[in-house]
Amino acid sequence: MLNVYLFQVLNGLGLGMIYFLISVGLTIIFGLLNFVNFAHGAFFLLGSYLCYTVVTLTGNFWLSLFVAPLGVALLAWITEQVLIKRAYHLPHTFQILITLGMALIIREASIMIWGPIGKSVPTPAGLDGVFRLGSFAYPEYRLFMIVFAAVIGLLLWFLLERTRFGALVRAGSEDTETVSLLGTNIFKLFSLTFALGVGLAGVAGVLSAPIRGAHPFLGEEVLGIAFVVVVIGGMGSFTGALVGGLLVGLVQSLMTTIWPQGASLMIYGAMAAVIMLRPYGLFGRS
Amino acid sequence: MSTTPTSSIWRGTTLLAVAAVVLMPVILPSPTLATEILIFALAALASNLLLGYTGLLSFGQGVFFGAGSYCSALVMIHWHFGLFPALLVGILAGALTAFVIGALAIRRTGIYFVMLTLSFSQMAYFVAYTMSSVTGGDNGLLNVPRPPVSVLGFELLSLASPLVFYGFVALLFLAVFVAARRVIHSPFGSTLVAIRENENRASAVGYDTRQFKVLAFVLSGAITGLAGALYALLLNFVPLSNIELATSEHILIMTIIGGTGSLLGSLLGAGSIVLLGDVLSALWPRWPMLLGLALIAVVMFLRGGLWGGLLDLKNRLIRSPEPPQPDTRQKDAAQ
Repeated sequence: MLNVYLFQVLNGLGLGMIYFLISVGLTIIFGLLNFVNFAHGAFFLLGSYLCYTVVTLTGNFWLSLFVAPLGVALLAWITEQVLIKRAYHLPHTFQILITLGMALIIREASIMIWGPIGKSVPTPAGLDGVFRLGSFAYPEYRLFMIVFAAVIGLLLWFLLERTRFGALVRAGSEDTETVSLLGTNIFKLFSLTFALGVGLAGVAGVLSAPIRGAHPFLGEEVLGIAFVVVVIGGMGSFTGALVGGLLVGLVQSLMTTIWPQGASLMIYGAMAAVIMLRPYGLFGRS
Repeated sequence: MSTTPTSSIWRGTTLLAVAAVVLMPVILPSPTLATEILIFALAALASNLLLGYTGLLSFGQGVFFGAGSYCSALVMIHWHFGLFPALLVGILAGALTAFVIGALAIRRTGIYFVMLTLSFSQMAYFVAYTMSSVTGGDNGLLNVPRPPVSVLGFELLSLASPLVFYGFVALLFLAVFVAARRVIHSPFGSTLVAIRENENRASAVGYDTRQFKVLAFVLSGAITGLAGALYALLLNFVPLSNIELATSEHILIMTIIGGTGSLLGSLLGAGSIVLLGDVLSALWPRWPMLLGLALIAVVMFLRGGLWGGLLDLKNRLIRSPEPPQPDTRQKDAAQ
């Protein structure tokens, strides 16, 4: 019986780390660029689909773990150059509508390329076994997913807190003008940050592909969940994204044992509860 | 009796709406298509009350639409409600869901507010999907009747014919249109615009802005619920997609492409997008891609939407002998 709960806790951690990767990208973009990206879920979806394509063509999941997020980040960089950078100065409502338009285009294009029916990605070779500890058994891939996402999270933390790039991003989110006056090409920094944030959604898309597959409407589902995480944890906060992500993942996964159909529902219930008790999120101040 | 400029604009706009409603079944290939346009025009108009007049971008419109559809259909199927009671249930269902979502979501402002409406919209979808014994789940709710117009049990008019049903929907649409214009030009409407322009100022002047926002939500939800109920009557069926996020997006896109802050714009937006969908969906199922492009184009280049664009064009083509400024001065003098 205990094993069942341990199983679900691990599942929840895995889900939570995926949610963390998605939300932290959303958060970094908002923090520095003050830009709201409603196409974030669509880019996640693209990551899953690119993973499917690379795995079908080459049979190599590891290659897709490298190529797909890069492809997503590259596309993000191009859209930033063409469209997004013209929208930084607009009110949030307009940014939301522009990225909503982008999300629609990406979704429809995905259906054109990959068809309306979902695709599944096989569990990568070498990780398709089961990890055993005494009487407890757990799929290896899901363990790998938790570890890999944690490593990415650590690298990201290091990048943001310990490098010159990170210092610039943090300084820029405080005061863009001063950073720009001190001789930094702020537009290059913006483009890179946008590509990085969206690339993280791409990584999450690849990691989740062997479990959830790729489906045209996954983007919306993921976007809704990322917003729950951000409402709970607060926009622009690394810790908030981590705690919020894990919390949502654990709630969803533990609910699956109690009420399978209602698991997705409970996430939103948790969000409503947070809004009622702490309107500014768990870490937020009014 | 002399009419003030405001009331003449009032009549002109309403006359245009009446003209459109009368002409649509004549020009369009089928009354059913015209009915669909009016139903979505109602939904877009309701979304406009929130976005255009109160400044609230809500992704919850599909929830109110779906709630109106499901609740009115369920009371007709299981409890044999008549037409008007069923429509009333749809309106109440829309208003109630809007009250709940609105009251929760406006606890936060700005982007958090928008995110909350989107997340609650996803939640409502999961509720409808989970309660498949009630809603029919993926298969939708089948065999929704279309009761006749009856008063005190006396059957007055059957709505079975598409054209008669169009007439019925058209009357309701015009009633809501006129009522919405009344609301906009009332002190209540001016307060909503004040909140849109500067919420802090409105609240500093002494308005309870939260209460006004919730009321705007309830009003918008009631109209959207009516639209949803009419849609169930039109299709004789409630698809699960009625409550999906995609419906919310569709309604929003109609509102914005038509033109925010103008009720005729909502009719224009709903009309052009329903028509576009009708023509293109058979030829090219991926036509919503165009909606994405159009949405981006409108936000970047044509903020007033199609209606704003038409007005600009009219002003450029017809130089009115009287420039607009003296008009406003006259109005001020009259007041």
